[in-house]
Amino acid sequence: MVLTRMTSTLWLAGESALLPSRIQMAFTLATHVLLVPMGVALPSLTLLMEGIGLARKDPVALKIARRWSVVMAVQFAVGAVTGTVLSFEFGILWPRLMGRFGSALGMGFAIEGLAFFLEAIFIGIYLYGWERLRPRTHFLLGLALPPAGVLGTASVLAANAFMNTPAGVTITNGRVTNVNVWAALLTPAEGYEFWHFLIALYMTAGFVVASVYAVAWLRGRRDHYQRLAFAIPFTVAAALTPVQLLVGDLSARALVQDQPAKFAAVELTWKTRDHNPEVIGGLIDPSGAVHLGISIPSLDSLLVGYSANAVVPGLTSFAADARPSIVEANLAHLAFDVMVGLGSAGALLALWYFWVLLRRRRLPDSAWFYRLAALAGVGCYVAVEAGWVTTEVGRQPWIVYNLMRVADAVTTAPASFVWTMLAALVVVYALIAYFFISLLMRLAARWKRDDAIGPSAPEEGAPYGPRPAFRRAGP
Amino acid sequence: MNDLLPNLIAFVLLLAITAYSTAGGADFGAGIWDLLAGNSEQGREARRLIDHAMAPVWEVNNVWLVLAIVLCWTGFPPLFEATFASLYPLFALALVGLVLRGAFFAFRHVADDPRAHRAADLVFGLSSVLTPFFFAASLGAIASGRVGSASVLEASFNPMSIAFGLVSVATTAFTGASFLVGDARRYGATELVDYFSRRALTAAVALIAVGTAALITIGLEAPDLLKSMLAGAGLPFALTTMVLTPVVAFLLWRGIFRWYRVLTVAAVGSLVFAWGFAQSPYLLPGKLTIAQAIAPPASQALLLGIAVAVVVLVVPSMGLLYYLDQRSTLEPPEA
Repeated sequence: MVLTRMTSTLWLAGESALLPSRIQMAFTLATHVLLVPMGVALPSLTLLMEGIGLARKDPVALKIARRWSVVMAVQFAVGAVTGTVLSFEFGILWPRLMGRFGSALGMGFAIEGLAFFLEAIFIGIYLYGWERLRPRTHFLLGLALPPAGVLGTASVLAANAFMNTPAGVTITNGRVTNVNVWAALLTPAEGYEFWHFLIALYMTAGFVVASVYAVAWLRGRRDHYQRLAFAIPFTVAAALTPVQLLVGDLSARALVQDQPAKFAAVELTWKTRDHNPEVIGGLIDPSGAVHLGISIPSLDSLLVGYSANAVVPGLTSFAADARPSIVEANLAHLAFDVMVGLGSAGALLALWYFWVLLRRRRLPDSAWFYRLAALAGVGCYVAVEAGWVTTEVGRQPWIVYNLMRVADAVTTAPASFVWTMLAALVVVYALIAYFFISLLMRLAARWKRDDAIGPSAPEEGAPYGPRPAFRRAGP
Repeated sequence: MNDLLPNLIAFVLLLAITAYSTAGGADFGAGIWDLLAGNSEQGREARRLIDHAMAPVWEVNNVWLVLAIVLCWTGFPPLFEATFASLYPLFALALVGLVLRGAFFAFRHVADDPRAHRAADLVFGLSSVLTPFFFAASLGAIASGRVGSASVLEASFNPMSIAFGLVSVATTAFTGASFLVGDARRYGATELVDYFSRRALTAAVALIAVGTAALITIGLEAPDLLKSMLAGAGLPFALTTMVLTPVVAFLLWRGIFRWYRVLTVAAVGSLVFAWGFAQSPYLLPGKLTIAQAIAPPASQALLLGIAVAVVVLVVPSMGLLYYLDQRSTLEPPEA
């Protein structure tokens, strides 16, 4: 009997495209989110470096800025491709989501379309304008990039925030009949999601860029170039780290009101209660018992309501089919812990950095500092992924919280079709990753050679940079 | 008066599709000529020009596509749902083509090994043919009236979708060659001017042939649409295309290098308009009109605001990029 039921469930799972659609969306989003920090925040770091170069008449700073702009453009091109894939997936995988909520959820994406347009144009102008525009003009035109990136971030997160805390829509007979633009764009979650993610992007870009030059330090490079290229992005990222702890804390607190089921999953709270412990690590089982992990008595209640008597929502206060499953709750919880752990580690590293900088008025010279700084870049990427897993998995089984289930939004296409498409995308993405990384390594090797021997244009060999003038080959 | 804003938004959607067909089309067309440029030795000069001409603007062109998608799901959610639920095979194929194309355009700048380079050229070229084919096929499938009523397979692959797909391949080849003539002239590569003029001429002949066949297909499959194209709202645009395509061919044949690019854009743009206007007020012929599918008024207002912002912000900055590109200011100071 049990066997028959299991086979029939498996067979049904094979029929619906829900599983492969979720995997495909997770895979393509997880890839795209890795490209976002450099797309949104690297232009600001590059402009900062260019500004320093112009103000101090420092050719080294200008050289660094120009090299970063090449990386920025190549990575923007890859991000444009993975972003286009995502927009089609809304139709191919989740047509009913857009059919029902497109008029509200789509607005954020429509604004993002505009921002994306401006970014693409001005990255082109910036990249191709080096030495062809006057330095001041070049810098000023580049200043269009950071606001375009911020606008894009705000609007995409408005769409995500709508999925987490939908508002501003009137639904009649299952159709959205009225939309309040501002209420639907600025839903409760937008406030904290936007700041939390924007700061994460700048932190990540800063730590990732700095990590490259931390490795250079470890390999023995100690010139003006290395110091400048390390110190500027690292200072930006380190200064933002304590701010992020604060914003992150406010975001988690806001979940208690806005998305209580997600908060219960994140904290592994089974029953609504006071004196709720804070569980670090650990896994919950289907009976609600938490195994492994460290449990700190009453801390969760204290964090939420500043009192051990504060009542914290538990998973069982939601119907079993309206809250994250046990697996999903564990995933959201562990991802949350990874994010918070990495953020705290980053804050300690930032403390070390500023301690040396302010007390000794110089950069740190400890190999251990640079080893950790070299890891900070990867740490940030992991933290961004973890944060995204927390918010997306923690919302399950809803695609629009309390209004539409993921299972009700999925395509009617057969599972085999989605599996095939997923396989094709995995192969193509692997190719792109390989091309992208080998291109970056090539550029790095050539720039290193240039610094040792003599100059060539930084863009040479990059597919999107300015090329030498078109001349016929041969005699 | 109540229909003004919805119609305006439908028009903006049509404009985005048209912009992608012309600007993106020039891009895809260059890829098609890359594919047909022969072996590495024969095709080297042509491929170098294609690379050179494409690099600065190719991803800006792609943004029109994203804009069309977001306009569709925000402005006409039921259209978006029905189209994707019915035509997902076409969109998946076009999407994979688009991604492969971008990846291998980059890769061929990196590949050292001649065989890898050749393979990259081949994938890039083939995906440049298939991507516009499948995108346009989805428009043909919509025009056939099968979205939502026929099986997914029949809605996606039928005489209309294939006819639209073939027309788009001829159109992009035509646009691509016409713009490459301009690029070759700009760089003073005389042999390539002749080379691409001949190809533009060939593509124009192919376009007229395929276009005629497509009209016959439309007449058999969707007679109402043909009637509107030849005796209704689509007529002025259909006429413009029919007149301008031979005119461009004539100009390039006689070596009169004036107006040919503007007229190419006008010919291709009118072709898209001829379909769009002939089909209006229907988004899905016989099933879904603009008035039925339009999002609530607030979303319409937002989309209108974005359209205005595109005109105010994007068009001038895009103009600047094209100006810098076409003026060769983006080229290094001549050695």
